Amino acid sequence: MARSKELVPGVGRFSRSGVFAKRALYKGQKKTDKPAAETPPEYIEKTIGGEKNGGKRLVPTSKAPRFYPAEDVRKPKKSRKAPQTSSLRSSITPGTVLILLAGRYRGKRVVFLKQLTSGLLLVTGPYKINGVPLRRVNQAYVIATSTRVDISGVSLDEKFNDSYFAKPSTKGSKSAEEEFFEEGKPKAKEAFPESKASDQKTIDGAVITAIKGTENLGKYLKASWGLSKGQFPHQLVF
Amino acid sequence: MSAKDSNFKRFVELGRVVLLKSGPSAGKIAVIAEIIDHNRAIVDGPTTGVPRQSFPYKHLTLTPLKLTGLPRAAGTGVVKKLVEKEQLTEKWEKSSWAQKRAAVEKRRSLNDFARFGVLLAKKSRRDQVRKAVKKAKKA
Amino acid sequence: MGLQEFQVIGRHLPTEHEPNPKIYRMRIFAPNEVVAKSRFWYFLRQLKKVKKASGEIIGVNVASDMGLLLILGPVGFFLFLRCWSSMARDYQIHEKKPLKVKNFGIWLRYDSRSGTHNMYKEFRDLSRADAVKSLYQDMAARHRARFRSIHILRVVEIEKGDDIRRPYIKQLLTPGLKFPLPHRVGKSRSTFVATRPTTF
Repeated sequence: MARSKELVPGVGRFSRSGVFAKRALYKGQKKTDKPAAETPPEYIEKTIGGEKNGGKRLVPTSKAPRFYPAEDVRKPKKSRKAPQTSSLRSSITPGTVLILLAGRYRGKRVVFLKQLTSGLLLVTGPYKINGVPLRRVNQAYVIATSTRVDISGVSLDEKFNDSYFAKPSTKGSKSAEEEFFEEGKPKAKEAFPESKASDQKTIDGAVITAIKGTENLGKYLKASWGLSKGQFPHQLVF
Repeated sequence: MSAKDSNFKRFVELGRVVLLKSGPSAGKIAVIAEIIDHNRAIVDGPTTGVPRQSFPYKHLTLTPLKLTGLPRAAGTGVVKKLVEKEQLTEKWEKSSWAQKRAAVEKRRSLNDFARFGVLLAKKSRRDQVRKAVKKAKKA
Repeated sequence: MGLQEFQVIGRHLPTEHEPNPKIYRMRIFAPNEVVAKSRFWYFLRQLKKVKKASGEIIGVNVASDMGLLLILGPVGFFLFLRCWSSMARDYQIHEKKPLKVKNFGIWLRYDSRSGTHNMYKEFRDLSRADAVKSLYQDMAARHRARFRSIHILRVVEIEKGDDIRRPYIKQLLTPGLKFPLPHRVGKSRSTFVATRPTTF
């Protein structure tokens, strides 16, 4: 129908046969003849014991359910859309100094390393300078500055992906009683994994050498950002 | 009223240098070439890139500078010659008003890192001043 | 919305009696071409026995000649047609020297609530169209006159200063004219400030 644009309501540009010719459905999709998968037989003959039972009976291979739901529950339509990785803002490139606006480290200036497949940004403080560890942040909660740190010397391992930052699955083996009495008690602090600490060190080492190349850049990253009286973020140049 | 016994110091008159406050040439200076009426004048800034145009007084500020001996309804060429002869642009740029404006403009254009640099510089200046004052007080 | 000056040319449709009707031309101040044509028929209806139903508009465009109403002969019409076809489709009349300050004398006629009056007013402006625009503003302010109740009769540039009649224009022609801008209140950034504004 879309081919045959309406001249006036109800009258298309082409005739029915014309549309048929245009759509060219008769050409058809080329079908390959697949050998039909062997369907298991619906019934199996079983021998039944007992005299009066006839000896043999056809038994369905898959049993029909004993109960049917009283009401029809609609199945939601399956979406075929997959979330796409959000595109990176053009002002953010590897090495850009970002200002974090939300979360535990809000107000900190950090160095952007790369974008992960989930769309989150991988940043580092570096930890030694301002206490911000390797961390994922959402680019919506970030101000990109025009300051860049040259991080071409930093080699980022492939292992820094989203699963690297995933929470380790806790083993739910505690008994209910134990859990009940645990409330209020100070939790035993888990030690920071050794491997992650060393990862932080290797990456930060390279970033810090790059930072040292520019005067005051280290101090800049150490200081936190804020607005003072009469300052409005839309009027500032970052 | 004659302007002699006036308390005012700046007048709308031929040759008066004005600072434009709005429009595409906002922030530039120009010269009043002719007075149209009580609300508008023709301004011209051949050296500052202001095209000759009618401009309302509401959107300009009078400066203390003035071109002397500008004839009535002088063309752009005459204005340019006089402006260059009196070195008006240089005079304006030397004035504390213009310098302050330039400084504000400069500060406004700094990025976050450069602003931080300013903060550090101010800090060190404060430090030095304080130390010097203390030293002077002791002596 | 400013006004523009149009030249509208039209004539009666040719008939058996009059195969070559006279051509009429008017210079009209209007916000756009449509209004200009409408005003043309309004004025022509009053002056001649021609109306829109029995006439045609030949062209709306630029001209260099002065005059309120010019009557061309039939020969001129063909000459004119040839010119017009080659002309760009730029309908309004442009000011020759848009940066020269001019004094305009305007004769007008307007219908007040109690009668019809003739008037003469002077304006200092950069173009004829601007002067007429400020005339309409002035008439609206002083007399509550609408566009429809004003006829512009003549717009003339007064070249000699001695010919200026009105004191409100004369005072702008004094040599060495200068005046201050009193009571200039600057914008303050905050609602409450410690110092009063300086207004001069």
